[in-house]
Amino acid sequence: MSLDLNFLSTNLKETLGAYIVSLNQAQGELTMVARASEMLDVFKRLQSNEHFYFDQLTDVCGVDYSAYGSEISESGMYLSDEVTENLFKHRFAAVYHLLSVKNNVRLRVKVFAEDDAAPRLNSVVGIWPSANWFERETFDMFGIVFLGHPDLRRILTDYGFVGNPFRKDFPLSGHVEMHYDPEQKRVVYKPVTVEPREITPRTIREENYSRH
Amino acid sequence: MGIEGVLEKGFVTTSLDTVINYTRTGSLWPMTFGLACCAVEMMHVALSRYDLDRFGAGAFRPSPRQSDLMIVAGTLCNKMGPALRKVYDQMAEPRYVISMGSCANGGGYYHYSYSVVRGCDRIIPVDIYVPGCPPTAEALLYGVIQLQKKINRTNTIAR
Repeated sequence: MSLDLNFLSTNLKETLGAYIVSLNQAQGELTMVARASEMLDVFKRLQSNEHFYFDQLTDVCGVDYSAYGSEISESGMYLSDEVTENLFKHRFAAVYHLLSVKNNVRLRVKVFAEDDAAPRLNSVVGIWPSANWFERETFDMFGIVFLGHPDLRRILTDYGFVGNPFRKDFPLSGHVEMHYDPEQKRVVYKPVTVEPREITPRTIREENYSRH
Repeated sequence: MGIEGVLEKGFVTTSLDTVINYTRTGSLWPMTFGLACCAVEMMHVALSRYDLDRFGAGAFRPSPRQSDLMIVAGTLCNKMGPALRKVYDQMAEPRYVISMGSCANGGGYYHYSYSVVRGCDRIIPVDIYVPGCPPTAEALLYGVIQLQKKINRTNTIAR
């Protein structure tokens, strides 16, 4: 039988108390925000405490909040200087999805990286080994460095790739494109030639979207 | 004189080009280069329903050194680009390339992506483009037949 979220929520508040920055229940899902400096303590407790027993980490991903909640610009690009109002104190966050098989319950934990210019978080590979490739992907796409990761390399983009594609200030078409050079007899990169073309989605949002 | 015995047995005359083209079109050895969902249609074409073997091109090889037709089936990413070129260079001549599907033809859905090659003809020369997303097995079969027609048109042994 699955654990009631209200019960879990109460339990979390009792056990973790001061560690919790915020706890939000919406759409039948529980989201907790923790501090970067205390994240390893929080995760260790979540994993080993018998009330939670979150023995599985199902996903780690990054979020770039630099344009969150702002109006989409004319060109459809999210550029950080076009942002009218910053809803969050920090730009980058890592989102951890935990699953407790024993209690049949899931929990989402969000940790904001303190430094926007060089975001750093602690690696949770020591707690859940499955975090290894997830953290590599987050590092690849967002440039969040996970301290203590055993092998923090890019995982998806090309060898020698420059930039972090999922950051809001990264252009969709990138900076380089690939072609074969008959003189050098090898595949080389040259500056991108396609015109930037982004379709601005027509979005209809409810009044209090992203303002909770 | 010398051909008297042959006349009794019977013979046909032809040109060397015709013989060479006949053997080339009748024994295409495709290389397995499935990159994405197009690869599934490429599998269909090789299997019993469409049976590429009827056209003499059914023996898919895992090695470029044993094949003379490369079917680029799917999205070619930047990371795969150098590998595609390397594999193409390893193929023995004469070699042919079929670009299968929108992504291989010109980037397709991913044309504006930062990580996808905008058409595999930026990396290797292509003989036949098969449109579709993904093309049906019939479409690829039609592409193979078009390639055979193209090979039949060549009338030199020049490399």
